[in-house]
Amino acid sequence: MAPKKRSFADEVRNVAEGFRWGRRPAVPRNAESHTPPPERWAFPTDWARTEAGRAARDAILLLVMKPLVWNETSPEVFGLDNLEGMRPPVMFISNHSSHLDATLILTTLPPTWRNKTATAAAKDYFFDVWWRSAFTALVYGGFPIERGGGERATDKAKDLIRDGWNLIVFPEGTRSPDGWVQRFRHGSARLAVEMDMPVVPIAIVGAYAAMPKGRFWPMPGRPPIRVRYGLPLHPRPDETHQALSLRMQQSIAELFDEDRTSWWEARRRAERGETPKLAGPAGARWRRTWEGSRPIRRSGEPPAWR
Amino acid sequence: MTRPGFVLEVDERTPPLLVHEGEGFRLQRFPLGTRVVYPPDPLRRIKDVRGAIRHALAEPHDAEPLADLLKPGMKLTVAFDDISLPLPPMRAPDIRQLVLEEVIELAARKGVEDVKLVVATSLHRRMTADEIKHAVGERVYRSFYPRDLTNHDAEDHANLTLVGTTDKGEDVEINTRAAQSDLIVYVNINLVAMDGGHKSVPVGLASYRGVRPHHNVSTMLHSKSYMDPRPGHSAIHDSCARMGKLLKDNGVRIFTIETTLNNQVFPEPFGFMNKREWEWSVKDQATYLAAKKANDMAPSKLRHQVWMRIESPYGVTGVNAGDTEAVHERTLARLHQQQLTEVNGQSDIMVVGLPYVGPYNVNSIMNPILVHCLGLGYLFNMYRNKPVVRPGGAMIMFHPVPWEFHQVHHPSYVDFFEEVLSETTDPSTIESKYEQQYAADPWYVHLYRKSHAYHGVHPFYMWYWGAHALDYLGDVIVVGGNPKSCDRLGYRAASSFRDALEMAGETVGRSPSITYLHVPPLTIADVR
Repeated sequence: MAPKKRSFADEVRNVAEGFRWGRRPAVPRNAESHTPPPERWAFPTDWARTEAGRAARDAILLLVMKPLVWNETSPEVFGLDNLEGMRPPVMFISNHSSHLDATLILTTLPPTWRNKTATAAAKDYFFDVWWRSAFTALVYGGFPIERGGGERATDKAKDLIRDGWNLIVFPEGTRSPDGWVQRFRHGSARLAVEMDMPVVPIAIVGAYAAMPKGRFWPMPGRPPIRVRYGLPLHPRPDETHQALSLRMQQSIAELFDEDRTSWWEARRRAERGETPKLAGPAGARWRRTWEGSRPIRRSGEPPAWR
Repeated sequence: MTRPGFVLEVDERTPPLLVHEGEGFRLQRFPLGTRVVYPPDPLRRIKDVRGAIRHALAEPHDAEPLADLLKPGMKLTVAFDDISLPLPPMRAPDIRQLVLEEVIELAARKGVEDVKLVVATSLHRRMTADEIKHAVGERVYRSFYPRDLTNHDAEDHANLTLVGTTDKGEDVEINTRAAQSDLIVYVNINLVAMDGGHKSVPVGLASYRGVRPHHNVSTMLHSKSYMDPRPGHSAIHDSCARMGKLLKDNGVRIFTIETTLNNQVFPEPFGFMNKREWEWSVKDQATYLAAKKANDMAPSKLRHQVWMRIESPYGVTGVNAGDTEAVHERTLARLHQQQLTEVNGQSDIMVVGLPYVGPYNVNSIMNPILVHCLGLGYLFNMYRNKPVVRPGGAMIMFHPVPWEFHQVHHPSYVDFFEEVLSETTDPSTIESKYEQQYAADPWYVHLYRKSHAYHGVHPFYMWYWGAHALDYLGDVIVVGGNPKSCDRLGYRAASSFRDALEMAGETVGRSPSITYLHVPPLTIADVR
């Protein structure tokens, strides 16, 4: 019997499936150690920061993303007044536990700030395939950054800061696997020190319970989320990036404490050096995840009819 | 340092893998757990090749510098490998051209007048003028062709000399001009471990009488494998070594120049064929689709022409000169660096995709006998220590095996296929019953000498090349093969790879282990 010829459509399908078109390219497991890292090609993102790109981003964030997130979760925003009197560029840093984080920050920032804000996004995750790269660039003003650091990792960030762009950076480098804040990497603090730019801490509380790592849609029940902007931190003269990094972590821990108790109590504890750590409870991994995923209390009085 | 060879184990992340099938190719999915043997990445090319050649000639291994061997009034014969190397042909300038130009320049400077160039064709077809011109370059061609640059003629008995007989009774009969020269300079391209060494002069410049002692079924059955020329592993190389020694003992002075190439086989836009599939860029994938579509749509003649026009952008990785054995030892080390991949253990099934070209169908047609030679002769034997497949295992090949012959190049093949193989496929029977008749047939001798035909006995040798594999394997299945041609060869044809695995199950069981030898580029499996 003569072999059946594969049609061109079948051939394209074979290639598309085999080479995972539209998905993250994968290397066979036992070839991983034999495969050099992909070439350092950077997806172009400058187009997303043009006038047209910014207009499109505003439209998507305000007409699509914000209604979506606000409909599926119950966000509240505090501390935006801390931005008053400040001038770009600043670096917004936040704890990172959910894909909602960047959307929450961008949709809660005042329009004048949002209009000039770009998000540092991991190159290996957000810029691996063309459609994800385009989405990240357009919707978040994203630009690729190498997680592993290296000399050229922050070149693009520096260029943007020089052009007057604010940056959103998640110093943990990746989303928390259990809801607790992970160790801060020093890249963001080093950048802030080198560029002598203020850092605005933001605590996002409840995002892990609302949409943890591994979920691509929020939990049902409109879970509450609170976004707290803190007082800006200015790099001090001769301050090392390690010292600034510690201050950044401390400021976010204070914002968490403030959320749990009150501004006054949090301040007093901070003065005494008793701000609760954000590393979570020691012990079994499940305990950390269990505590980290505990839904946060809703603000205000419960409804009378419940 | 370049990346070494690698054995992939197919998992769910593995994309479909490129498989050659004659003048075509496909992306084929393999069962989970299949091992795929990839060659090392191309070695770094020598940037100053002429400089490397000059250095090799000035500081040879276990020999005097070539310049010191050249003297006025001497008789110098320069022999070089024929069209069967390299595969595909090398993009100009061919390495033979570069070496020949340096050798001839030295001869000219030293006042040597009597210089003859010989293409060491052995029993292969005569190269055409264009093919010679491509191999030696315009300057050498214009200076020597056709008067002083000729194809070797293994049937010109007036110009053949019996140098002697080895202690094993092997006649060593070579080209008279070479035998009577004060110096033979042999220029070689070592593409696989089988080439070069003492196989150059005693075979390349030999007659049928000189080739017969080692090109026979018994020798082939005791050559395990041809790609492992270490003493005691390959009877054919042991025989050639004896012949080489006899030449040396009889005062035939040989200055060997061997060269090695890297495995940069396919030029752009076919560069994706040199890469491991999971490293294909989007551009590579698009190029594959476009090339596949164009290749499938093209009329067969046009397709054939396109494939035959491929010239490889090889890089030269080594030039060694001097005493044959000392040179060949270094050549093999370099070659192994480029081709050797360590493989753990044998498997039940060996899979290979047969490419469009083998040593005997350059600018020609790969007929069913050459398919046999390429698959069971060469690719099966691309191993050291033991075959990739276990004794009694199955071999699955991809090739259309068209019932098609080149009437000028392969006239005796047509008759061999029609008359001999229709009677029997047993190499020993074929050898004893038919070989002499074909070898001495005056019409085939005439076509070999005056046209561009392979010698009448050549299809026999092609069949013997596969003797070891035929003896060793339990089943040979060809995916996409012409059923009539396959039947004649004693193979089974399958319409798809899945069918082939199903058929092989009858021989090797329902859950066989599979190893796919991912060639070209060529790799030698060092099976432990």
